Amino acid sequence: MPDGVRYYFGAEARLRRAVEDVAMSVFAGWSYEEIATPALDYFALFDRGMGHGEAQRAFRFTDTDGRLLALRPDVTSSVARASATLFANRPRPLRLCYAASVFRQRPRSHAEWRREWTQLGCELIGAAGAAADLETLLITIEVLEQLGLAGRFRITLNHVEIFNGLAAQLALDATAREELRRIIDTRDTDALNRFLAAHTQSAQTNAARHPLTRFTGQSDIIAAARQQLTDARSTSALDALAEVWRVLEALQLSDCFEIDLGDVSGLDYYTGLVYKIYVAGAGTRVGSGGRYDELTANFGGREPAVGFVLDLDALTDVLARSHSTLALNGQTQPTIIDDDDIATRFRAARLSRTNGERIELK
Amino acid sequence: MIAMEQDIKADRTSNSAHSTQHTALPLTIALAKGRMQDEALHVLACAGVSVSDEALASRRLAVEDERGRYRFVFVKPADVPVYVEHGIADCGVVGRDVLLETEADVLQPLDLGINRCCIAVAARADATGHEVGMLRVATKYPRIAAAHFGARGVPVEIIELSGSVELAPVLGLADCIVDLVETGRTLAENGLVVVETITESTGRLVVNRASYQLKATAVGELIEALRQAVGVGAVTDA
Repeated sequence: MPDGVRYYFGAEARLRRAVEDVAMSVFAGWSYEEIATPALDYFALFDRGMGHGEAQRAFRFTDTDGRLLALRPDVTSSVARASATLFANRPRPLRLCYAASVFRQRPRSHAEWRREWTQLGCELIGAAGAAADLETLLITIEVLEQLGLAGRFRITLNHVEIFNGLAAQLALDATAREELRRIIDTRDTDALNRFLAAHTQSAQTNAARHPLTRFTGQSDIIAAARQQLTDARSTSALDALAEVWRVLEALQLSDCFEIDLGDVSGLDYYTGLVYKIYVAGAGTRVGSGGRYDELTANFGGREPAVGFVLDLDALTDVLARSHSTLALNGQTQPTIIDDDDIATRFRAARLSRTNGERIELK
Repeated sequence: MIAMEQDIKADRTSNSAHSTQHTALPLTIALAKGRMQDEALHVLACAGVSVSDEALASRRLAVEDERGRYRFVFVKPADVPVYVEHGIADCGVVGRDVLLETEADVLQPLDLGINRCCIAVAARADATGHEVGMLRVATKYPRIAAAHFGARGVPVEIIELSGSVELAPVLGLADCIVDLVETGRTLAENGLVVVETITESTGRLVVNRASYQLKATAVGELIEALRQAVGVGAVTDA
């Protein structure tokens, strides 16, 4: 078998199915309508939808007419195209969800070894602002809670305009911008100090070191960042984060969250709030989400959108290791059906099945 | 692994809890065995995290610190990023050379400044500077070497060796080597000189991405304690 793919069977397959069912029923509970997208599509769709860098990880091959096809590396691109075309005339907002396998070549991380995995995702299209962002966060929390992970997960929040504002203020070229992004991504404080010292002239921007080198915290970090990041883009991003945080506190959910100014992945894709989902017992993140207001513009009409995905396989791994009883609910002993006469045997089988019993033929 | 499955809410309270009791989430730290181990343990001791000589003298590969807040595992340098990336160890101490070579996806919040050395290209001192169509490079760092020459557009044949790399140019297996250079003595003894320094390497604290969030308080305390110990506390929380 090739690297990065696997079988699921027995208890693990039952658990995986149960996790998917929990997620899809939560999505349905928030009125998200299931959409199934093609597993095979034009590479150009993903190149536009995910950005060039990420789309490069797709498995590609040519169609009979020579056009470039790909196994879907994500579902969001296809959903965005559908909302701009198929659903162009539907009233907004659109609430769509899916459970679908995605395929990518091996990523940078060695711990994320899978090349095929299943995303459980929601997309809220045509809705702007903190209320829409919060809706997706609350759905995420509900899924994790219903999986029995309450108190064992943490979601980090950031806003891409904090980095974009800083990069614009420092007037960085593309290379320097990527260097700054990489430094912040690895939380390399020493390198960040050297970088800022080299790229700042005035003492005022020099002081901007402080909140970014601290990276994570709760509402205190927003206050600290406000002191130092004073450009218009960063300021309004901090306002947006503060608004989300205020509501989370009012809902008494802020313990599940952390502000992480060091989360600077997917900057070309996301346009506002971004979040990452971590669960104790998993060494890598189990999901991510954020606002991507520019994506649907690639397919016709620009409209605000926010969404997230949870990694079904990573969640199944964590739950299997912590001996989750999720898949045991409703498990009954089968009725054994045994008769030498084939017709009698199947008559009994049909009767038991009519009564909804689980049967096993001898 | 067991530690990670505890209720992470304990992390929020560990700030006050560990001073009186040390039951809150212990952190697992992977240390590179060999050259870096002693210096890493010294820095940790300066940061108030000490392992008893008795525990070290034993041949156990996993030991706890004297206050029971940290569990140390001793593994080969190249395995440190593996343990940390998978979250089996929350943190690790390892050289930048290893991180570059393995392209590990881990956080690197602190340069500990220990085991300072460089990764360099070295060749025979008597090598003539004549142009070659293809440079043969012997190294334990195939990725670093390929990236270095690739960025300069120099075509190379990488010959991967697992030790005594200095022999390769002497015996004619390669035109030059890419290797870790500490004092340069081994090079000199084999008639080699540094042609070009690729990058510096020091011991670094690395942290698993999930642990950084799930055990934010404990990890933050360790980083701060080490930062003070290393004496690069210039930028700390006011």
